[in-house]
Amino acid sequence: MSNPNMNEMEYCNDVLVRLEELLFHELSGCAAWKVEFVGVDFIQSKDIQGDTPDEVIQNCIKEIKTAGFVEEMNYAISGEDVKLELTMKGCRHLPKEVKLRQDGIKPYICPLTNMVLDQLIEKLKFETTYVADLHIEENKGECRVWSAIYENEDKIGCVCNWHEE
Amino acid sequence: MGDIIDVIMSRKSIRRYKPDPIPDEMIDKILEAARWAPTGENYQPWRFIVIRDQETKDRIGRLAKLGSGSRMTAWYCLGEMQPRFEKIKDPEKRAEVLRFMYSGEVSEFARYAPVVIAVIGTLMEGSVDVPYDLSAAIENMLLEAHSLGLGACWVHGPVASTRDAKKFKEILKIPTGMGEYKVIAYVAIGWPKEQRKHPRPKLPLEDLVYWEEFGRKERPKYE
Repeated sequence: MSNPNMNEMEYCNDVLVRLEELLFHELSGCAAWKVEFVGVDFIQSKDIQGDTPDEVIQNCIKEIKTAGFVEEMNYAISGEDVKLELTMKGCRHLPKEVKLRQDGIKPYICPLTNMVLDQLIEKLKFETTYVADLHIEENKGECRVWSAIYENEDKIGCVCNWHEE
Repeated sequence: MGDIIDVIMSRKSIRRYKPDPIPDEMIDKILEAARWAPTGENYQPWRFIVIRDQETKDRIGRLAKLGSGSRMTAWYCLGEMQPRFEKIKDPEKRAEVLRFMYSGEVSEFARYAPVVIAVIGTLMEGSVDVPYDLSAAIENMLLEAHSLGLGACWVHGPVASTRDAKKFKEILKIPTGMGEYKVIAYVAIGWPKEQRKHPRPKLPLEDLVYWEEFGRKERPKYE
């Protein structure tokens, strides 16, 4: 980079922040529903294998960590097999989320979560997925993302209290 | 020229329809109303696909059900939906309404509408203001349908997510490139099966209007 004060990741995050601001300004909360393909090119370039959600998710996490996008990444499936919790530490996009929140916008794009959800759909033919809640703890350098994953049509409508899961 | 405020104020979204067909002349009038909506640079980006084939409507209805259900199941699990329905005092009725929502059944009604009109916009070079133009066209469609005694509902949910919008395009054989056509919504139309009750309460104007600058609520005297 010609600017020694800005590395490539900073530049990438700054570009993303501006785009996310614009998209939110245009679409308000609906912006979050439009961005499910953001980030998927990376994971689609990998040959993710797996016959079960656990295998696919674990292999996604392996590739994501190997690429250095995050220091730690863990997952848990609960809530009638609909709730997917991803916890991350040291995500390289965290500064983007912090900046967005400072601008008064709740962060709504997690490219790493999109990668995992994409592979559940592409490799295991899940019916659909939905990123439900993105929680940032910048002081700890951590994120927690809750997504709904629907293996098939019958899983839609399987409800419980995710806060107690 | 007549004042159309009564048409505007009496319209409500209708989601339940009689199976009776809609005459072609009425469909044409609804499309004609859309065609005369305001459009930036007179670009007229709108294109309409009129759908009466039951199998196609079933596929659209299913897509709508899954789209709404996937979001609302999560909202329910997060506890975000329940407060909206606290005004329903009967717990059994409240639970049934909530189930109707998070199952996605609330959005399935396209399959029961005699006519569904998909509203899409061309994104070809030179296009500007496409979502706004299309929205104006849809409002014209709703008002014309209402004035003809029909009921209609503007439905965006099933094409709200990018993946679902792609599926919707595939159902209707619309080119799926992100730079080609934008699907903004569809309008379900039919003879109302539900009573045209008085529209839901709206916020009073004094809560919505400022005068001369943001936040100024008192109307200044203007000579």
